Amino acid sequence: MQHPELSALPRRRALVDRATRLLVGMGGAGVIVAIALIFFYLLWVVLPIFLPASVTPQIGGETPDFEAPVYLDTDDGGNVGMVIQADGRVRFLALEDDLEVLTPEQSLNRPVIAITADAGGGNLYALLDTSGDVLFFRVNYRVSFDETRRQITPSITYPFEESPVTLGEFKDFEFHRDGSELLIGVLAEGSVRLLEFTDVEDGFPLEAATPGRIGALSGIDHLILGPSSRWLYLLGNDGRLELYDIRKPRRPKHVHSQRLLSGEGQVDAFAPLLGRYSLLVGQQNIVTQWSLIRDEGGYRFQDIRQFDFPAPVRLLRPEQRRKGFVAIDTAETAHFAFATSGRITTEAQLPAGTQVLGISPRAHHLLASAPDGELATFTIDNRHPDIGWRTLLGKVWYEGYAEPIFSWQSSSAGNDFEAKFSLVPLIFGTLKAALYAMLVATPLAILGAMYTAFFMAPAMRRIVKPGIEVMAALPTVVLGFLAGLWLAPLIEANLAALLCVLFLVPLGLLLLAWLWRYLPDRITRPCQGWYALLAIGPIVALFWLAFQLGGPLERVLFDGSLRDWMLNELGIAYDQRNALIVGIAMGMAVVPTIFSIAEDAIYGVPRNLINGSLALGATPWQTLTRVVLLTASPGLFSAVMIGFGRAVGETMIVLMATGNTPIMDWNIFQGMRTFAANIAVEMPEAEVGSSHFRILFLTALLLFLLTFVVNSVAEFVRQRLRARYGSL
Amino acid sequence: MATRKTSGLRSWLRSGEPWVWMNAAAVGTSILAVIGLVGLIAWNGLAHFWPHAIVQLETGTADNPVILLGELVDTDTTERLQYEEATGDGALPEAQTTVTRVLLKTGNRRTAPPDFRWVYDHRINRISQPVDAIVIERTEWGNAYGFLESVRDGDRTVTGVKAQEALARAIDFAEELRENIRDLQQAELQRVNAGIEALRLEDRRIALSDRSPTDKQSAHADVAQRRAALEATYATLERELREHINRFQGHEITLRRADGETEVIPLANIVRTWQPNAMSLAGKLGHYLSSVWLFLSEDPREANTEGGIFPALFGTVMMVLLMSLLVTPFGVIAAIYLREYAHQGAFVRLIRIAVNNLAGVPSIVYGVFGLGFFVYFVGAGIDQLLFPEALPAPTFGTPGLLWASLTLALLTVPVVVVSTEEGLTRIPRSVREGSLALGATKAETLFRVILPMASPAILTGVILAVARAAGEVAPLMLVGVVKLAPTLPVDGLFPFLHLDRKFMHLGFHIYDVGFQSPNVEAARPLVYATTLLLLTIILLLNLTAILLRNRLEQRYRGVEG
Repeated sequence: MQHPELSALPRRRALVDRATRLLVGMGGAGVIVAIALIFFYLLWVVLPIFLPASVTPQIGGETPDFEAPVYLDTDDGGNVGMVIQADGRVRFLALEDDLEVLTPEQSLNRPVIAITADAGGGNLYALLDTSGDVLFFRVNYRVSFDETRRQITPSITYPFEESPVTLGEFKDFEFHRDGSELLIGVLAEGSVRLLEFTDVEDGFPLEAATPGRIGALSGIDHLILGPSSRWLYLLGNDGRLELYDIRKPRRPKHVHSQRLLSGEGQVDAFAPLLGRYSLLVGQQNIVTQWSLIRDEGGYRFQDIRQFDFPAPVRLLRPEQRRKGFVAIDTAETAHFAFATSGRITTEAQLPAGTQVLGISPRAHHLLASAPDGELATFTIDNRHPDIGWRTLLGKVWYEGYAEPIFSWQSSSAGNDFEAKFSLVPLIFGTLKAALYAMLVATPLAILGAMYTAFFMAPAMRRIVKPGIEVMAALPTVVLGFLAGLWLAPLIEANLAALLCVLFLVPLGLLLLAWLWRYLPDRITRPCQGWYALLAIGPIVALFWLAFQLGGPLERVLFDGSLRDWMLNELGIAYDQRNALIVGIAMGMAVVPTIFSIAEDAIYGVPRNLINGSLALGATPWQTLTRVVLLTASPGLFSAVMIGFGRAVGETMIVLMATGNTPIMDWNIFQGMRTFAANIAVEMPEAEVGSSHFRILFLTALLLFLLTFVVNSVAEFVRQRLRARYGSL
Repeated sequence: MATRKTSGLRSWLRSGEPWVWMNAAAVGTSILAVIGLVGLIAWNGLAHFWPHAIVQLETGTADNPVILLGELVDTDTTERLQYEEATGDGALPEAQTTVTRVLLKTGNRRTAPPDFRWVYDHRINRISQPVDAIVIERTEWGNAYGFLESVRDGDRTVTGVKAQEALARAIDFAEELRENIRDLQQAELQRVNAGIEALRLEDRRIALSDRSPTDKQSAHADVAQRRAALEATYATLERELREHINRFQGHEITLRRADGETEVIPLANIVRTWQPNAMSLAGKLGHYLSSVWLFLSEDPREANTEGGIFPALFGTVMMVLLMSLLVTPFGVIAAIYLREYAHQGAFVRLIRIAVNNLAGVPSIVYGVFGLGFFVYFVGAGIDQLLFPEALPAPTFGTPGLLWASLTLALLTVPVVVVSTEEGLTRIPRSVREGSLALGATKAETLFRVILPMASPAILTGVILAVARAAGEVAPLMLVGVVKLAPTLPVDGLFPFLHLDRKFMHLGFHIYDVGFQSPNVEAARPLVYATTLLLLTIILLLNLTAILLRNRLEQRYRGVEG
């Protein structure tokens, strides 16, 4: 026992004492841990966005041997790899499980020249055999659970029976099935045929197609079906591109022709990006992303981004679910790039002469094979290539847009949608909402604090101060509800009246103050310190008057409606739920915070300073503005800071009082979307672990850091001030 | 002031007097805002329960009269210009610059929509308040307005004067029957359902266990046998329920609407009826109180836009109770550490600032943290360990009551810490030293002297924390609140308190009904009433805290002196 005085105690008392010390210590540590936990947990979720990607070669127990693979793919989850060989054998291997080859293998029962997958995604393949016929097949992966583990059984089916479609002589072909419609585009020398099969149904052979034709073509080498069979792109090796509208496949319409290469040269590699709104075109070391856009001149391709690789690119392959792609250069290096972010995240060394490439749907696995049958498999850890500082904070040129923009648009119905994760509109909205709220709250709170602390009668102050502070306890959902459902329609209907309020109330009060001096002393003297109470009546009256004047004013000055007038004359649009409403409602929420701290600061100014100033002949007003405010200014500063911190993070008011559209416009009559509201709206829908999810966490972390820093500075300033008051 | 009246405008401006007035006006405006806000909510919230008179408006032309029956809800005034643009009506008197219109709630949403209509004042030919007009509150399609034509109970049809009495009897009958049905549904059927679900999980658990195949087979068979028994009970109960429901057959009332048509309303759909125009003041008061009671005690109906808010009130109270159980020990111990045990240096000052700042961190951040850490991390971990048989359906790995309480506990820790610390600081050193000098250990001093003295401060902190938690919505939206919870978090089924269940909350109810419901106009009075309830709870809590703090101040004035 270290403490001699404790050793004299009965054991039980000493034990209780020590246990208490331990418990309390743990409680103290708990607080520190809790604070650290919030910060580090948020960081831990956010961090993977910024971690580098990696590709790891998979080393199987026994490298399987394949004969001339022509096609590589995997199942949806990336558990089973599929290798189709030139002899028609289809072999499957367990990617997660030592690359063991699954038995029994399947067969397509005919030699294969090439396999083409559906242009719009979907689990349909076309087999091209040596006789030039095309046979459609499907690969199914049946998942079953036996006693111990998940079992995946692959099988091959022929949805249109084993009846092939004869294409005749051709150079290139693609197909897309959309519900009951199947479209095959066939490029032959000098012409294109579009075969449209309608009423296609699984289990029934294809009926005769009605062909459409584009003739008199030259210099075209590749055919690409555009998004949902609406567009047809024809590409020549010299970079020439012809754009056709094929909504009516029997009568294709030429829309535009242009060249997708700058300067001399050849197309060395090309690939459509997911969704097929963009074409990637490789020329030497450069891959250019051309996106289909629409401007005054109609539809055309626009080069929106370039990727620079260390060696000439010879093969491009898009990812199946994201706007990413793999580029293989002449040094046999596979580079993993992402369109939206323009990032090249990682690379892998492939076997020499790799011709066939398979990327699993979720881009967790890469299969590569050279003609001699050597198969290399890789696991990819490339989870957030779509995010970078540039996409978060810079302007990004998205597919289909005429120029780079800031945009937040995190999800949409389609799965080939390009998510737009620019934080700029959200930062803008957050600051806009906070700014307008501060514009309302700061003058009200600071002026109010000045009066309450310096002029108000003590009897009144005892009620007013807690009264206003109780307002801080009002649930913000109440303020938001009133703002959205009561204030917003009220202001929309009485915009001119509000304008009147701005002028009428201050001017009217000044007038009343002027008249006040002509009242006899015996009335005014006892009222010193009760001005705030006296002012309430006139304020109500002036508000009433302003609302009475609003209508006639609109009639006389603004043709009956200020709103229409603003739209027609000034081009200012009016949203019912806008920054003004948020400013007023959130201002009300922030007033008590600022008021309380500012009032404390002013009230705490040592008495001797004030008395000294008054004794030197300064009026009370002069004393307040020149001595008291100056001394208390750090306190006022910290009050405003803390108020700002609260306004930045407020959720419910913004959620309910604005339209929550992420636009960037300082117009006070337009809405905005703030960080906090954005989290509240999107968090419940975000897929756990996705880029979207992590970005939402990033915004939460930013809010946390911002308010923590702002409050810390304010608190620090306040403590210094308290020490100074102590010394005065 | 001294220079007053001696000179003109300039010296008046220089004296600062006008600015003092401006400052005073700022305070006045803030006070007005508080009073106005509370007043607005109180007025709208309280008015909701009053049995408003039913008015009959006759509008339209002489050969095509339109008769409307309903409650007046709102009036507003439009500029003549806008009126003329909107209606194309150019027949207003020359001198008239504004047009007034009234909003009439005509109900009968299904049979004679819309249920709210604007009527221009100058187009109303006649207003009356028919004494025999009746309001029927229904379980679906909102209120019905009209005149009682006949009541059919079973096979007899009562019309005329007797219909009134028959209606009262029918309502009593309906109430009793509904009570039976509710008992059957909530107590019996739910219990059997829970039993069947438990058996399903047991079956899974057996399959996942490492018992021998034969062992498993017999266990499975046992489960199947018990399930068959339960399913038989279920079928019996369901039959019984259907019998109860069938007893409503043949009970209905016929209502004559204002437009002269009659419609038949099944008794099963009727909650209650009243005739406001025939009510005395006492009758109205009675109706008012019963409305308030129904509001507080009933389940919501019609996508939360009608009926009561009991589940939301209950959910809020449960969540807040759990939260205070969690936050009180943690906050108090932390404060004791900071004030009594830790060495008062830069580090403790830093922690104190950090704790203070935690109070300023936006609540939505706590929501995000709660969702990520508690739900997806801790909750998913618990599911893996304790409830593998229910997977992939999550038990604790989904937002629920426990996580909401924990998140809010974290959010309110600073409130308790700061308040407790304040209380501890106020206790004079001499008290501690006296105790120690008498031979008490530090722990004894803490438990016997300091904590009792600080208890009002602790209580203040907890009350403030509860008030804050009760009004918080944003984080709850992420960690467990739903718009409509099928079951309460507490019921008669083991383990009685279901920490994993989602719950309803007053604040979220306001947001959801006010902003997400399809018929905001109809829901608005209810939202005001809910808001009033929430506001009352929170203001009362805050008032209690303030009073407690004041008493505390008085108590220590003695000790310090």
